Amino acid sequence: MPDWGRNTLELMVQELQRPVRVDDSFDRRVMVRVRRIYAERRHRGIVGWLAAAANVTRRPAWAAALAAGVVAVVSLSVLKKSPSTVPANGQAIPVQFVLVAPDAHSVAVVGDFNNWGLNDTALVAENHDGVWSVSAPVHTGVHRYAFLVNGKQWVADPTAPRAADDDFGQPSSALVVEASTQ
Amino acid sequence: MRMRTARSLLAVLLVGSAFRSTEAQDPRLSNRLDAPTRKALSAIVDSARAQGIPVEPLMEKVYQGLAMGADGSRIVVAVRSLTFEMGNAHRVLGAVATTDELKAAASAVHAGVPAVELGKMKKQSGLRRSLTLPFTVLADIVSRGVPVAAATNAIKSLVGAGAKDKDISDFQRNVSVDIEKGAQPAAAAETRAKGAVVPPPKAENREHE
Repeated sequence: MPDWGRNTLELMVQELQRPVRVDDSFDRRVMVRVRRIYAERRHRGIVGWLAAAANVTRRPAWAAALAAGVVAVVSLSVLKKSPSTVPANGQAIPVQFVLVAPDAHSVAVVGDFNNWGLNDTALVAENHDGVWSVSAPVHTGVHRYAFLVNGKQWVADPTAPRAADDDFGQPSSALVVEASTQ
Repeated sequence: MRMRTARSLLAVLLVGSAFRSTEAQDPRLSNRLDAPTRKALSAIVDSARAQGIPVEPLMEKVYQGLAMGADGSRIVVAVRSLTFEMGNAHRVLGAVATTDELKAAASAVHAGVPAVELGKMKKQSGLRRSLTLPFTVLADIVSRGVPVAAATNAIKSLVGAGAKDKDISDFQRNVSVDIEKGAQPAAAAETRAKGAVVPPPKAENREHE
Protein backbone atom coordinates (compact mmCIF):
# COMPACT_ATOMS: atom_id res chain seq x y z
CA MET A 1 0.00 0.00 0.00
CA PRO A 2 1.41 3.47 -0.85
CA ASP A 3 2.30 5.91 1.96
CA TRP A 4 -0.64 8.17 1.31
CA GLY A 5 -3.00 5.22 1.44
CA ARG A 6 -1.59 4.02 4.75
CA ASN A 7 -1.73 7.52 6.20
CA THR A 8 -5.29 7.95 5.05
CA LEU A 9 -6.22 4.63 6.61
CA GLU A 10 -4.58 5.57 9.91
CA LEU A 11 -6.37 8.92 9.92
CA MET A 12 -9.69 7.25 9.20
CA VAL A 13 -9.17 4.72 12.01
CA GLN A 14 -8.18 7.53 14.35
CA GLU A 15 -11.28 9.48 13.41
CA LEU A 16 -13.57 6.48 13.72
CA GLN A 17 -12.28 5.79 17.23
CA ARG A 18 -13.52 9.16 18.42
CA PRO A 19 -16.83 9.06 20.26
CA VAL A 20 -19.71 10.45 18.22
CA ARG A 21 -22.74 12.06 19.78
CA VAL A 22 -26.00 11.97 17.89
CA ASP A 23 -29.11 13.86 18.82
CA ASP A 24 -32.55 12.31 19.26
CA SER A 25 -33.68 13.17 15.74
CA PHE A 26 -30.74 11.37 14.10
CA ASP A 27 -32.61 8.15 13.22
CA ARG A 28 -35.51 10.05 11.73
CA ARG A 29 -33.22 12.25 9.60
CA VAL A 30 -31.28 9.25 8.33
CA MET A 31 -34.45 7.45 7.28
CA VAL A 32 -35.77 10.55 5.48
CA ARG A 33 -32.50 10.77 3.53
CA VAL A 34 -32.48 7.04 2.72
CA ARG A 35 -36.05 7.19 1.39
CA ARG A 36 -35.17 10.22 -0.73
CA ILE A 37 -32.13 8.47 -2.27
CA TYR A 38 -34.20 5.36 -2.98
CA ALA A 39 -36.91 7.44 -4.64
CA GLU A 40 -34.34 9.31 -6.75
CA ARG A 41 -32.80 6.06 -7.96
CA ARG A 42 -36.18 4.67 -8.94
CA HIS A 43 -36.80 7.73 -11.10
CA ARG A 44 -33.38 7.82 -12.65
CA GLY A 45 -34.56 5.90 -15.75
CA ILE A 46 -32.04 5.78 -18.58
CA VAL A 47 -29.07 6.65 -16.36
CA GLY A 48 -29.88 3.78 -14.05
CA TRP A 49 -30.28 1.48 -17.05
CA LEU A 50 -26.88 2.53 -18.44
CA ALA A 51 -25.23 2.02 -15.06
CA ALA A 52 -26.71 -1.47 -14.86
CA ALA A 53 -25.59 -2.51 -18.38
CA ALA A 54 -22.52 -4.65 -17.79
CA ASN A 55 -21.65 -5.53 -21.38
CA VAL A 56 -21.73 -2.04 -22.83
CA THR A 57 -17.96 -1.82 -23.39
CA ARG A 58 -17.94 -5.03 -25.40
CA ARG A 59 -19.67 -3.32 -28.29
CA PRO A 60 -17.69 -0.61 -30.11
CA ALA A 61 -20.87 1.27 -31.07
CA TRP A 62 -22.05 1.36 -27.47
CA ALA A 63 -18.56 2.31 -26.31
CA ALA A 64 -18.35 5.17 -28.77
CA ALA A 65 -21.80 6.43 -27.81
CA LEU A 66 -21.00 6.21 -24.14
CA ALA A 67 -17.63 7.91 -24.68
CA ALA A 68 -19.27 10.75 -26.62
CA GLY A 69 -21.82 11.20 -23.85
CA VAL A 70 -19.17 11.20 -21.16
CA VAL A 71 -17.07 13.70 -23.12
CA ALA A 72 -20.08 15.97 -23.42
CA VAL A 73 -20.66 15.79 -19.67
CA VAL A 74 -16.95 16.31 -18.91
CA SER A 75 -16.76 19.25 -21.32
CA LEU A 76 -19.78 20.85 -19.72
CA SER A 77 -18.34 20.40 -16.26
CA VAL A 78 -14.97 21.83 -17.35
CA LEU A 79 -16.77 24.80 -18.86
CA LYS A 80 -18.69 25.34 -15.66
CA LYS A 81 -15.58 25.02 -13.52
CA SER A 82 -13.41 27.17 -15.73
CA PRO A 83 -11.42 29.67 -13.66
CA SER A 84 -12.54 32.37 -16.03
CA THR A 85 -16.21 31.73 -15.34
CA VAL A 86 -17.07 30.35 -11.91
CA PRO A 87 -14.51 29.72 -9.16
CA ALA A 88 -14.58 26.14 -7.90
CA ASN A 89 -14.49 26.89 -4.21
CA GLY A 90 -17.35 27.74 -1.90
CA GLN A 91 -19.31 30.88 -1.27
CA ALA A 92 -17.73 34.25 -2.01
CA ILE A 93 -17.43 36.70 0.84
CA PRO A 94 -16.24 40.30 0.69
CA VAL A 95 -12.60 40.81 1.66
CA GLN A 96 -11.10 44.25 2.08
CA PHE A 97 -7.66 44.80 0.58
CA VAL A 98 -5.72 47.86 1.73
CA LEU A 99 -2.36 49.21 0.65
CA VAL A 100 -0.75 52.43 1.83
CA ALA A 101 1.02 53.88 -1.20
CA PRO A 102 1.11 57.69 -1.07
CA ASP A 103 3.04 58.07 -4.33
CA ALA A 104 1.01 55.61 -6.38
CA HIS A 105 -1.10 56.62 -9.36
CA SER A 106 -2.93 53.30 -9.54
CA VAL A 107 -3.15 50.14 -7.47
CA ALA A 108 -4.80 46.84 -8.36
CA VAL A 109 -5.06 43.59 -6.45
CA VAL A 110 -4.29 40.60 -8.63
CA GLY A 111 -4.47 36.97 -7.56
CA ASP A 112 -5.89 33.49 -7.80
CA PHE A 113 -9.38 34.81 -7.02
CA ASN A 114 -9.49 36.94 -10.18
CA ASN A 115 -7.31 34.67 -12.33
CA TRP A 116 -4.47 37.13 -12.11
CA GLY A 117 -6.37 39.58 -14.27
CA LEU A 118 -4.29 42.75 -14.19
CA ASN A 119 -7.20 45.14 -14.59
CA ASP A 120 -9.97 43.27 -12.82
CA THR A 121 -9.84 44.64 -9.27
CA ALA A 122 -8.64 48.22 -8.89
CA LEU A 123 -8.15 49.84 -5.50
CA VAL A 124 -9.35 53.38 -4.86
CA ALA A 125 -7.84 56.11 -2.68
CA GLU A 126 -11.08 57.87 -1.89
CA ASN A 127 -9.58 60.84 -0.07
CA HIS A 128 -6.43 60.93 -2.20
CA ASP A 129 -4.50 60.36 1.01
CA GLY A 130 -2.48 57.39 -0.19
CA VAL A 131 -4.66 54.77 1.52
CA TRP A 132 -5.85 52.55 -1.31
CA SER A 133 -8.59 50.03 -0.68
CA VAL A 134 -11.18 47.83 -2.28
CA SER A 135 -13.64 45.24 -1.06
CA ALA A 136 -13.76 42.25 -3.41
CA PRO A 137 -15.69 38.98 -3.23
CA VAL A 138 -13.33 36.07 -2.60
CA HIS A 139 -14.30 32.43 -2.45
CA THR A 140 -13.36 30.27 0.51
CA GLY A 141 -9.96 28.70 0.16
CA VAL A 142 -6.33 29.69 0.02
CA HIS A 143 -5.32 32.31 -2.53
CA ARG A 144 -2.06 33.82 -3.74
CA TYR A 145 -2.16 37.51 -4.58
CA ALA A 146 -0.14 40.71 -4.85
CA PHE A 147 -0.70 44.40 -5.43
CA LEU A 148 0.27 45.89 -8.77
CA VAL A 149 1.30 49.51 -8.28
CA ASN A 150 1.32 51.89 -11.25
CA GLY A 151 0.80 48.93 -13.55
CA LYS A 152 4.37 47.70 -13.19
CA GLN A 153 5.56 47.21 -9.61
CA TRP A 154 4.53 44.08 -7.69
CA VAL A 155 4.11 44.56 -3.95
CA ALA A 156 3.22 41.93 -1.36
CA ASP A 157 0.54 42.75 1.19
CA PRO A 158 2.53 43.86 4.25
CA THR A 159 -0.26 42.73 6.58
CA ALA A 160 -0.63 39.19 5.20
CA PRO A 161 1.43 36.00 5.31
CA ARG A 162 3.98 35.71 2.54
CA ALA A 163 3.54 33.15 -0.19
CA ALA A 164 6.76 31.18 -0.02
CA ASP A 165 6.55 30.05 -3.63
CA ASP A 166 7.41 33.27 -5.45
CA ASP A 167 8.64 31.40 -8.51
CA PHE A 168 8.58 34.40 -10.79
CA GLY A 169 10.90 36.64 -8.81
CA GLN A 170 8.10 38.87 -7.54
CA PRO A 171 6.69 38.93 -4.02
CA SER A 172 3.21 37.68 -3.30
CA SER A 173 1.01 37.04 -0.29
CA ALA A 174 -1.30 34.31 0.92
CA LEU A 175 -4.91 34.77 1.91
CA VAL A 176 -6.93 32.06 3.64
CA VAL A 177 -10.68 32.54 3.57
CA GLU A 178 -12.25 29.88 5.77
CA ALA A 179 -15.93 29.07 5.71
CA SER A 180 -16.00 29.39 9.50
CA THR A 181 -14.96 33.04 9.25
CA GLN A 182 -18.16 33.91 7.46
CA MET B 1 -9.33 -6.81 -28.22
CA ARG B 2 -12.42 -4.79 -29.08
CA MET B 3 -13.08 -4.22 -25.42
CA ARG B 4 -9.51 -3.02 -24.90
CA THR B 5 -9.80 -0.63 -27.85
CA ALA B 6 -13.04 0.78 -26.51
CA ARG B 7 -11.52 1.22 -23.07
CA SER B 8 -8.48 2.98 -24.54
CA LEU B 9 -10.70 5.30 -26.54
CA LEU B 10 -12.76 6.06 -23.48
CA ALA B 11 -9.65 6.66 -21.38
CA VAL B 12 -8.17 9.06 -23.93
CA LEU B 13 -11.43 10.95 -24.20
CA LEU B 14 -11.89 11.06 -20.44
CA VAL B 15 -8.34 12.15 -19.68
CA GLY B 16 -8.58 14.89 -22.37
CA SER B 17 -6.46 17.75 -21.13
CA ALA B 18 -7.81 20.15 -18.52
CA PHE B 19 -5.19 22.54 -19.82
CA ARG B 20 -6.49 22.33 -23.38
CA SER B 21 -10.06 22.82 -22.17
CA THR B 22 -9.08 25.98 -20.35
CA GLU B 23 -6.89 27.06 -23.25
CA ALA B 24 -9.87 26.93 -25.55
CA GLN B 25 -11.71 29.41 -23.36
CA ASP B 26 -8.98 31.79 -22.32
CA PRO B 27 -7.13 33.62 -25.09
CA ARG B 28 -4.30 34.50 -22.68
CA LEU B 29 -3.04 30.92 -22.86
CA SER B 30 -2.98 30.60 -26.64
CA ASN B 31 -1.91 34.21 -27.31
CA ARG B 32 0.94 34.41 -24.86
CA LEU B 33 2.32 30.88 -24.62
CA ASP B 34 4.10 29.26 -27.52
CA ALA B 35 3.18 25.79 -28.75
CA PRO B 36 6.03 23.89 -27.01
CA THR B 37 5.16 25.56 -23.69
CA ARG B 38 1.47 24.74 -24.09
CA LYS B 39 2.35 21.14 -24.92
CA ALA B 40 4.65 20.82 -21.89
CA LEU B 41 2.06 22.36 -19.56
CA SER B 42 -0.66 20.14 -20.96
CA ALA B 43 1.46 17.05 -20.25
CA ILE B 44 2.22 18.16 -16.68
CA VAL B 45 -1.41 18.95 -15.94
CA ASP B 46 -2.60 15.61 -17.36
CA SER B 47 0.05 13.74 -15.41
CA ALA B 48 -0.97 15.53 -12.21
CA ARG B 49 -4.60 14.69 -12.74
CA ALA B 50 -3.73 11.03 -13.33
CA GLN B 51 -1.97 11.03 -9.94
CA GLY B 52 -5.03 12.48 -8.22
CA ILE B 53 -3.43 15.89 -7.72
CA PRO B 54 -5.88 18.80 -8.09
CA VAL B 55 -5.09 20.74 -11.27
CA GLU B 56 -6.72 24.04 -10.37
CA PRO B 57 -3.68 25.31 -8.40
CA LEU B 58 -1.51 24.43 -11.40
CA MET B 59 -3.65 26.54 -13.70
CA GLU B 60 -3.51 29.38 -11.16
CA LYS B 61 0.27 29.17 -11.26
CA VAL B 62 0.18 29.47 -15.06
CA TYR B 63 -1.98 32.61 -14.77
CA GLN B 64 0.33 34.03 -12.12
CA GLY B 65 3.32 33.52 -14.38
CA LEU B 66 1.55 35.20 -17.28
CA ALA B 67 0.52 38.17 -15.12
CA MET B 68 4.05 38.59 -13.81
CA GLY B 69 5.51 38.53 -17.29
CA ALA B 70 7.43 35.25 -16.91
CA ASP B 71 8.53 33.46 -20.05
CA GLY B 72 7.20 30.04 -21.02
CA SER B 73 10.14 28.01 -19.76
CA ARG B 74 9.97 29.63 -16.34
CA ILE B 75 6.25 28.95 -16.10
CA VAL B 76 6.83 25.29 -17.01
CA VAL B 77 9.51 24.98 -14.30
CA ALA B 78 7.21 26.60 -11.71
CA VAL B 79 4.24 24.39 -12.60
CA ARG B 80 6.40 21.26 -12.61
CA SER B 81 7.82 22.21 -9.22
CA LEU B 82 4.34 22.84 -7.80
CA THR B 83 3.15 19.49 -9.15
CA PHE B 84 6.05 17.75 -7.43
CA GLU B 85 5.41 19.56 -4.14
CA MET B 86 1.69 18.89 -4.25
CA GLY B 87 2.44 15.24 -5.04
CA ASN B 88 4.65 15.02 -1.95
CA ALA B 89 1.95 16.66 0.14
CA HIS B 90 -0.69 14.34 -1.31
CA ARG B 91 1.35 11.26 -0.37
CA VAL B 92 1.77 12.26 3.27
CA LEU B 93 -1.59 13.92 3.91
CA GLY B 94 -3.64 11.28 2.13
CA ALA B 95 -6.80 11.45 0.12
CA VAL B 96 -8.59 13.22 2.98
CA ALA B 97 -6.62 16.42 2.38
CA THR B 98 -8.54 19.19 0.66
CA THR B 99 -7.24 21.06 -2.37
CA ASP B 100 -6.58 24.07 -0.14
CA GLU B 101 -4.60 21.99 2.35
CA LEU B 102 -2.53 20.54 -0.48
CA LYS B 103 -1.92 23.98 -1.91
CA ALA B 104 -0.85 25.37 1.46
CA ALA B 105 1.21 22.25 2.20
CA ALA B 106 2.97 22.57 -1.16
CA SER B 107 3.90 26.11 -0.21
CA ALA B 108 5.40 24.88 3.07
CA VAL B 109 7.30 22.13 1.22
CA HIS B 110 8.57 24.77 -1.22
CA ALA B 111 9.82 26.79 1.76
CA GLY B 112 11.84 23.77 2.90
CA VAL B 113 9.58 21.97 5.39
CA PRO B 114 9.86 18.17 5.01
CA ALA B 115 6.54 16.78 3.79
CA VAL B 116 6.67 14.07 6.45
CA GLU B 117 6.36 16.74 9.16
CA LEU B 118 3.16 17.97 7.56
CA GLY B 119 1.82 14.42 7.61
CA LYS B 120 2.58 14.18 11.33
CA MET B 121 0.65 17.38 11.95
CA LYS B 122 -2.33 16.03 10.01
CA LYS B 123 -2.31 12.87 12.09
CA GLN B 124 -2.00 14.89 15.26
CA SER B 125 -4.90 17.16 14.41
CA GLY B 126 -7.41 14.66 13.04
CA LEU B 127 -9.59 14.76 9.98
CA ARG B 128 -11.90 17.59 10.94
CA ARG B 129 -9.26 20.23 11.57
CA SER B 130 -8.29 22.04 8.39
CA LEU B 131 -4.57 22.72 8.33
CA THR B 132 -4.72 25.21 5.47
CA LEU B 133 -3.96 28.18 7.69
CA PRO B 134 -1.31 26.45 9.88
CA PHE B 135 0.55 25.32 6.73
CA THR B 136 0.26 28.82 5.24
CA VAL B 137 1.68 30.38 8.41
CA LEU B 138 4.41 27.75 8.53
CA ALA B 139 5.50 28.67 5.00
CA ASP B 140 5.36 32.35 5.92
CA ILE B 141 7.52 32.22 9.03
CA VAL B 142 10.11 29.99 7.32
CA SER B 143 10.31 32.54 4.49
CA ARG B 144 10.88 35.24 7.15
CA GLY B 145 13.95 33.41 8.41
CA VAL B 146 12.64 31.14 11.17
CA PRO B 147 14.63 27.89 10.90
CA VAL B 148 12.54 25.01 9.58
CA ALA B 149 12.82 22.95 12.79
CA ALA B 150 11.84 25.87 15.04
CA ALA B 151 8.98 26.87 12.77
CA THR B 152 7.68 23.31 12.53
CA ASN B 153 7.86 22.83 16.31
CA ALA B 154 6.03 26.11 16.89
CA ILE B 155 3.17 25.26 14.55
CA LYS B 156 3.00 21.69 15.86
CA SER B 157 2.70 22.95 19.42
CA LEU B 158 -0.06 25.37 18.42
CA VAL B 159 -2.03 22.76 16.49
CA GLY B 160 -1.45 20.17 19.23
CA ALA B 161 -2.75 22.58 21.86
CA GLY B 162 -5.94 23.10 19.88
CA ALA B 163 -5.17 26.66 18.83
CA LYS B 164 -7.80 28.09 16.49
CA ASP B 165 -7.05 29.73 13.16
CA LYS B 166 -7.41 33.16 14.74
CA ASP B 167 -4.76 32.29 17.36
CA ILE B 168 -2.43 31.09 14.61
CA SER B 169 -3.05 34.25 12.56
CA ASP B 170 -2.23 36.35 15.63
CA PHE B 171 0.90 34.26 16.14
CA GLN B 172 2.00 34.93 12.54
CA ARG B 173 1.39 38.66 12.90
CA ASN B 174 3.31 38.84 16.19
CA VAL B 175 6.26 36.85 14.87
CA SER B 176 6.52 39.01 11.75
CA VAL B 177 6.39 42.23 13.82
CA ASP B 178 9.02 40.87 16.23
CA ILE B 179 11.33 39.98 13.33
CA GLU B 180 10.81 43.38 11.70
CA LYS B 181 11.78 44.98 15.01
CA GLY B 182 15.05 43.02 15.02
CA ALA B 183 14.27 39.87 17.01
CA GLN B 184 16.02 36.62 16.16
CA PRO B 185 13.48 34.72 14.02
CA ALA B 186 13.82 31.44 15.96
CA ALA B 187 13.48 33.19 19.32
CA ALA B 188 10.45 35.14 18.11
CA ALA B 189 8.70 31.97 16.93
CA GLU B 190 9.47 29.96 20.05
CA THR B 191 8.47 32.75 22.43
CA ARG B 192 5.28 33.64 20.62
CA ALA B 193 4.26 29.98 20.32
CA LYS B 194 4.52 29.60 24.09
CA GLY B 195 2.32 32.64 24.58
CA ALA B 196 -0.24 31.55 22.01
CA VAL B 197 -0.80 28.03 23.33
CA VAL B 198 -4.23 27.91 24.88
CA PRO B 199 -4.38 26.09 28.23
CA PRO B 200 -7.11 23.43 28.53
CA PRO B 201 -10.40 24.74 29.96
CA LYS B 202 -10.69 24.40 33.74
CA ALA B 203 -14.05 22.61 33.47
CA GLU B 204 -12.38 19.63 31.78
CA ASN B 205 -9.78 19.40 34.54
CA ARG B 206 -12.51 19.23 37.16
CA GLU B 207 -14.16 16.33 35.36
CA HIS B 208 -10.98 14.27 35.65
CA GLU B 209 -10.55 15.00 39.35
